[in-house]
Amino acid sequence: MTAVLRLVISRLIGGIPVLLIVLAGVFALLEAAGGDAIDAYFASIGGGDAALAAQLRAEHGLDHSALQRFLFLLGHLAQGDLGWSVAQGRPVAPLIAERLPATLALMGSATAFSFTLGSGLGILAGRRPGSALDRLLSGGALLLHAVPGFWLGLVLSVVFAVKLRWLPVSGIETIASGKTGLARVADIAAHLVLPVATLTLIYLALFLRVMRGAMAEVWAQEFVLAARARGIAPRRILLNHVARTAVLPLVTLLGLQSAAMLGGSVVIESVFGIAGFGRLAAEAVAGRDPALLLAVILVSAVLVVGCNSLVDLAYGLLDPRVRPVAHRREV
Amino acid sequence: MPLSLTRRALLLSSAALLAMQALPTSARAATSGRITIAADSEPAQLNPAIAASNGTFFIASKVIEPLAEAAYDGTGLRPLLATGWEGSEDGLSVTFHLRDGVRWHDGKPFTSADVAFSALQVWKPMQNIGRTLLANLTAVDTPDAKTAIFRFSKPTPLQLIEKALPVVSSVLPKHVYEGTDIARNPANSALIGTGPFVWGDYKPGQYYLLKRNPSYWQPDLPRAEELVFTVLPDRASAASALEAGDVQLAAFSAVPLVDLARIGAVPGLAVITKGYEALTYQLIVEINHRNEPLANLKVRQAIAHAIDKKFVRDTIFLGHATEATGPVPTNDPTFYTSDVTPHAFDIEKAKALLDEAGYPVGADGKRFALKLLPAPYFTETRQFGDYLRQALAAVGIEATIVAQDAPGHLKAVYTDHDFDLAVAPPVFRADPAISTTNLVRSGLPAGVNFSNQGGYSNAELDKLIDTALTTLDPAKRVELYHRFQQLVTQDLPLINVVDWTFTSVAATQLSGLATNPRWAVSNWAELALA
Amino acid sequence: MSTSAFHRPEARIGAALLAALGLLALLAPVLSPGDPLAISGLPLVLPFTEALHPLGTDRLGRDLMAGLIHGARISMTVGLLVALVALTAGMLVGTLAGLIGGWTEAILMRIVEAFQIVPGFLLALAFVSVTGPRLSTVVVAIALGAWTGPARLARARVLVLRESDFVAAARVLGHHPLEIALRQVLPLALPPVLSLTAIIVAGAILTEAALSFLGLGNPNAVTWGAMIAEGRNQLRSAAWLSVLPGLALLLTVVAIYLLGEAVADSLGARDRR
Repeated sequence: MTAVLRLVISRLIGGIPVLLIVLAGVFALLEAAGGDAIDAYFASIGGGDAALAAQLRAEHGLDHSALQRFLFLLGHLAQGDLGWSVAQGRPVAPLIAERLPATLALMGSATAFSFTLGSGLGILAGRRPGSALDRLLSGGALLLHAVPGFWLGLVLSVVFAVKLRWLPVSGIETIASGKTGLARVADIAAHLVLPVATLTLIYLALFLRVMRGAMAEVWAQEFVLAARARGIAPRRILLNHVARTAVLPLVTLLGLQSAAMLGGSVVIESVFGIAGFGRLAAEAVAGRDPALLLAVILVSAVLVVGCNSLVDLAYGLLDPRVRPVAHRREV
Repeated sequence: MPLSLTRRALLLSSAALLAMQALPTSARAATSGRITIAADSEPAQLNPAIAASNGTFFIASKVIEPLAEAAYDGTGLRPLLATGWEGSEDGLSVTFHLRDGVRWHDGKPFTSADVAFSALQVWKPMQNIGRTLLANLTAVDTPDAKTAIFRFSKPTPLQLIEKALPVVSSVLPKHVYEGTDIARNPANSALIGTGPFVWGDYKPGQYYLLKRNPSYWQPDLPRAEELVFTVLPDRASAASALEAGDVQLAAFSAVPLVDLARIGAVPGLAVITKGYEALTYQLIVEINHRNEPLANLKVRQAIAHAIDKKFVRDTIFLGHATEATGPVPTNDPTFYTSDVTPHAFDIEKAKALLDEAGYPVGADGKRFALKLLPAPYFTETRQFGDYLRQALAAVGIEATIVAQDAPGHLKAVYTDHDFDLAVAPPVFRADPAISTTNLVRSGLPAGVNFSNQGGYSNAELDKLIDTALTTLDPAKRVELYHRFQQLVTQDLPLINVVDWTFTSVAATQLSGLATNPRWAVSNWAELALA
Repeated sequence: MSTSAFHRPEARIGAALLAALGLLALLAPVLSPGDPLAISGLPLVLPFTEALHPLGTDRLGRDLMAGLIHGARISMTVGLLVALVALTAGMLVGTLAGLIGGWTEAILMRIVEAFQIVPGFLLALAFVSVTGPRLSTVVVAIALGAWTGPARLARARVLVLRESDFVAAARVLGHHPLEIALRQVLPLALPPVLSLTAIIVAGAILTEAALSFLGLGNPNAVTWGAMIAEGRNQLRSAAWLSVLPGLALLLTVVAIYLLGEAVADSLGARDRR
């Protein structure tokens, strides 16, 4: 764990210029938007007059120049202070802390499921490339991947939550249920089934197809042929030699996918009424709330870097030839 | 035997599953005294004394009460924190008699000092409506704990004050707010009031929880134990949640209109259209009179004739709206008149008017091009934008829709005036002086949202609006506002298309719904699970 | 494009589907003249019940068939434009970084990294909400999250090629660096980067749909995504409104993938040879 932490921290420090570019870009984007936080506030409360607007702008420091406000925000970020959310009228840090767990649970389980399920089915499909089973699995996964996520989520929700009533319709847990311990975990798990299933079904195809493709290549390599010649059982060749080698590109994909997963969860959170990170980002944009948006972007960047570091470590474990470097230069 | 065991387990579990499915929705809800309500958004400001808006009232009015609430019968008002009031002959003061024996949720008694503090420190300087409506309020005298006398610098019609009471007069506890930064007081997000429900909990993005106030001033009320407002931003999920029994009530048309017929047929659910009469929204076309063709009355008349109000009513609103005749909704009991200039749907007449105005059809089949900005707040305003683009195309006007989110739209229309036509959904708040006349009055500085920012100026109309503001005789005011409706429909500073109210979908075991014409934003003391 | 790509039946199915869709998109103004958003009939006409509206109408009375045909045009235009923008930008940045090296490379690749660690969809969401949904902004917004892959791949290829014998030979012969870049490096670096096209096009069409779902579609044009997003409110009462455009989108994305994969495979095979 400390190894991961050290890796993440050193990468983040190395990545400070990158983060600065990101933050400046996002801030500039929000500045270029029509309307500011006060317009957003008025939109929400049904209007106000010009004097009140001027007064509120002064209160929130919006009468300062964009550069001044950006530097102010950066100064606070540098001190580890995420700042004050104008849109929500609260400090940003607890807001993030409230929303992060739901998204982590959603993303984490969806990644885990699509990875295991995808690689498992990929092994099945890649056992005999071109076979009927291969076509069925690869084709099915592709079809699922081509369905818009929000639509798949809605259909699943209508079938399993509304019609069959097996699962809750929305939210991350039963509201103010007073549940604790295992009962609460079970409650949250039940709420996560549909959104996680939706994300899994969509991302399954990526892992399946990469696994299958990699397996097809490994089959043709010499050491597999050698193993065959030595009379090793086909099942052992499949799992110990072929699959193990083929899983490497899949692990790389896992790191690359983390950013996409985080983005994809925005839509799924909206369909299943989960108050997660994606919705917080959308709220920050709609509220013209730079402090909140910068914090969301910063934290997701840290998450993505963290995921990639974990992936690199895992890669090292799977393939001893590779050792993670603090700041990997790309080939 | 292991096999039979697993089979039995399987049978048992599937039986349990069947039982769960068979369980009616009512059983799930009724076991606790909790009523779960779908909320489509979270208001940016929860304090109703600061933000007098329906989004805030929807949640906060259950905790913080106004002096009076709208009512279906009698004078149209039901006393809440005030028991009665009278205005002086000269219109310079209004005396409120306050209810005895009311306590704040923290146990302190409610007195006239709270009313005076709220009026002078919050409603007048901070509230979006109070800032203009109470601009002439100079002092609030409190001769005793149960009397508050509002003093105005100019004659102020009692009729106007009365109509505004439910919206403007949410009373805050002085002892909690005095001497603090009111805008940032923690009580703004954990409300303290006198209402039937006390603040329980707020999990942003998830829910608001309100609990029964055991020492509410009305005996035996409220009837519900808990209200939970669950945040469901996607409207399709509100319908699903109702059907699955997770939610018992969806107000403010949280269920899309197109899904209403289907959901009304679901056993255990009912569609309710009452309870919004005093919350009428007006679908209007705002016009930028700085734009050359639109400054021409004939062009505005042509646009009015090009709009098929019946289509808008029947197809976009699926019948849940009424065709508007002018700037006062037809369902208003006091000020409405039908004696106005009508603009019937007539494409040929619209084309003729455009020809007369000097905008013939060009070689490309178009007369001129416009920028159309539909307000993004409602599905219906966006859909009307889609329709208006087509309706204008039918008479040779090419409109391009500019879609923006809410802050972008407000800035473009009300500050930057970067529009030709805009679609807006202003609220009619029982008296035209509260927020309707602002839509056509000239001289409002840029940046005032939901006001005339189209550069329209009509001296006669302005004078009439000002006169009505200080006219004390109710009958005379009504007459002035009849004239107001006639002038607006004659000169078309804006075009009123339809007026609409909302619908609720509720579980049939709920009772005490739609008890007043502002029901969705009132205190819900009578709401109960049967 | 190598002919070997078409040996597999999947590739042929994909190519045939795409050709049909492409034709549909090209001929949209002929097949269904006029504005596809025009209110042309009664609302919610069922499919296969009226000759005038073979696939029925939506809730405002707009013809679904016209929407699907013109939607093909817009959806595929969005996909192709995003691919064009993303590939051009990626190739440019990647090739420059690989060829010039040094500080330029470091800075360019840092920018690429910056875009990579921000979830692309969040970026697109923010960009479109801020600039307003028009065809151009939607394309740029989606491309913002799609150009980093091509950039990294292009740079990696250029780095390999830069050290190769024939580039060294060209250098020795005194060719201008720009000439080397254009004549020797780019033609060889291009194919693997182009093989990303299918993924980018398919992803862009899906992302456009997701943006429309969140209310960020262009209201002046009809796209499949917008049709699905609008139809979802009637999923229970008028399922065809979202199912039909959903099927169209599904077919297109699958076709693109199938064809793209076959092309990438054959390129890869040629590479290995």
